[in-house]
This record gives sequence, C-alpha cells and structure tokens, in this order.
Amino acid sequence: MAVEERIVGFESAGEELHGVVHVPAQHPRGTLVFCHPFAEEKKCSHRTMVEAARAFAAEGWAVLRFDMRGCGDSPCRFGEVSPTAWLHDIHAALDAAERETATTDVGLLGLRLGATLAAEVAEERHEVACLVLWEPVIDGEGYVRQNLRRSMIKAMMTRYEGGEDTEGAALEAGALGEGTVDFDGYEVPEAMRAQIDAIDLTTPRSYPGPVLVLNLGARETVDAPMQRLSDAYEQGTAAAVRQEPVWQRIGLMDATATIKRTLEWLQQIR
Amino acid sequence: MADEQLKQQIKEMIVDRLFLDADPAEMADDENLMENYEIDSVNLFEIVVGLEEEFDISFEDEDFSVDLFATVNNLAEYVEKKRG
Repeated sequence: MAVEERIVGFESAGEELHGVVHVPAQHPRGTLVFCHPFAEEKKCSHRTMVEAARAFAAEGWAVLRFDMRGCGDSPCRFGEVSPTAWLHDIHAALDAAERETATTDVGLLGLRLGATLAAEVAEERHEVACLVLWEPVIDGEGYVRQNLRRSMIKAMMTRYEGGEDTEGAALEAGALGEGTVDFDGYEVPEAMRAQIDAIDLTTPRSYPGPVLVLNLGARETVDAPMQRLSDAYEQGTAAAVRQEPVWQRIGLMDATATIKRTLEWLQQIR
Repeated sequence: MADEQLKQQIKEMIVDRLFLDADPAEMADDENLMENYEIDSVNLFEIVVGLEEEFDISFEDEDFSVDLFATVNNLAEYVEKKRG
C-alpha cells in the first residue's frame, strides 16, 4: 500500500513540536500517535520507530511520530522540561493527529517511558481509540535506578576496554546522589527525577478502551507486573514477544515480531 | 564452590537474555565471558537484570567490578553469597 510521509509542526505550550505523519493512500483505518522513549533509549530506538510507523501505514494505519519538548528536533533542552510537559505534548499530538490525518479514531502507541506517559494521557482522555504499550515503565524509581546503573556499567566497561583500572569507576558514575543525575549523557535535574520517581502504573486504571500490553524481551511468558497492569484495565490484553531490546542499543532495529503482534491485535479490535 | 545446577542456570540465562548463538552446555565455567562472547555494557546490564530477576538478589553499587562478571564461576559464587 502506498504511503505518504510528511513533516508536520504543531504547537504545545507555545512551542512548535516536530513530527512526521505517515498516511496510507486510502482513508486510514485509524491513527496511532507514537510516543517515544527518552534519553539514550530514544536515540537507540529511533530507527525502529520509523520502520514501525512505515509498517503500520503499509497496513492502512496512519501514524504520527513526534518529538516531545527537549527531545529530537523539537525545541527546549532536555533538562528544562519534565514529564508534566511531555504529557501536555501528547495531548497536543492527539489533537494534531486528528487534524493531519482527517480521522477521529486516534489511539496511542508508546515505547518504554513513552508508553507510560501514553497510559497516563489515556486516563484523562477516555475517547482515545486504543492504547498500545510496548514494554512500559511501571515503576518510576526502578527506571531511574536502571538508568543510573546503566551509566555505572558503561563507565566501568569504558575504563576496562581502555585498559585502565576499573576500581571505583562504577560508583563514581552512578552513585545515587541528590540533585541532578546523569542518564548516560542526558542531564536529569532533581525536579525531573522526582516526577519520574513518582510514576507508578500499579495504581487503578480507568481507561475503558482496548489496551495491549506487550512485554518485550527474552521471555516467552508475560512478567507478573505487566500482567497485573493489563488486568487493571477493563479491556486489557497482555502478551510476551521475544524481542531484542531495541531501545538499549543503536543498531538493533528488527521489531518485526512486535509489529506483527500489534497489527494482529489491531485487526482483532476493529 | 558454587553448585553445578546454579552455574547451568546462569549459563542458560546469559544465552537467553543476550540472544547468543551458543549452547549453554558448552560454556566453560571459567572462560572469559567478556572476550569470548563480546560482552559490552548493554549485555552486562542485561546480565545484572537477569540475575536479579531470576535469582531474586539485589546488586549493591559497590559490588560492580569487571572481575565479578568475568566468568560463570564468579557470578555463581556471587549469587550464592547474596542468597546466603
């Protein structure tokens, strides 16, 4: 199916956000707004998100990919914004998607923290057509801890590969101190960290529409926290997809199994 | 000395989590994982998460060292120590 791709701009809190809309030649079956992950995870998964958007469009779904404030080609510095601003950006993207694709049937698709924020927006906008959560972050504190740990390990390995003494490298890079912390090169100020820490997807869910929670990783069974998240929704479905973590490494791009499982589910709910 | 079953579980976890094209049964307990399986920081992070999830242990920041992750023997000893 022929697909049109065009760059779009839309406003959120007085800033012009950058987006790309993928539109099938025929009237779309619906539209998905793709909510990206953050910091290094966004950089690593960028290519996968492009390929995924193209695959969905080829199957008749319009997709709006966009950069939230402080990310990618949208304005502001990463450390200047916060999850509250990003939630506002997703609301703006939903409105932009309706305008740009001439559909009112707009759902949210997110990866990692982008999925988490999509879930929070759906709590406020029950008219969202569907919610697709790819490996959502359920526990904000755990997510922060993982990012700091990743920085620790990277520092340790960088010294090791350079033939240097690795003693103390990990601790220096990732100590869980107060104030600004470093997410692998991305400055996370205390206020942003506090908001991320507060994220908790184990709280009751009120979004009434269909929800797909995809647990991506080495396992072929759904982890307990992902299953509980799915069960918290009136129309939740959880599935495990054996998928390399495309958000962790630049160069990993093949999300074929994840895209296929998502498309199967979208067909079922239509 | 850590038990053989634990070492085998660790080998299987590593192969599975890192999507390695390797047979866990053929991995030696004392071979250098970094060099033989080209383990980098992303892989190492996956191993840490895998050990914590599958063996119900928690790494402390001060525990991180290249030596700890060098061999299956070292990882197994660490898991046994953490499990008491």
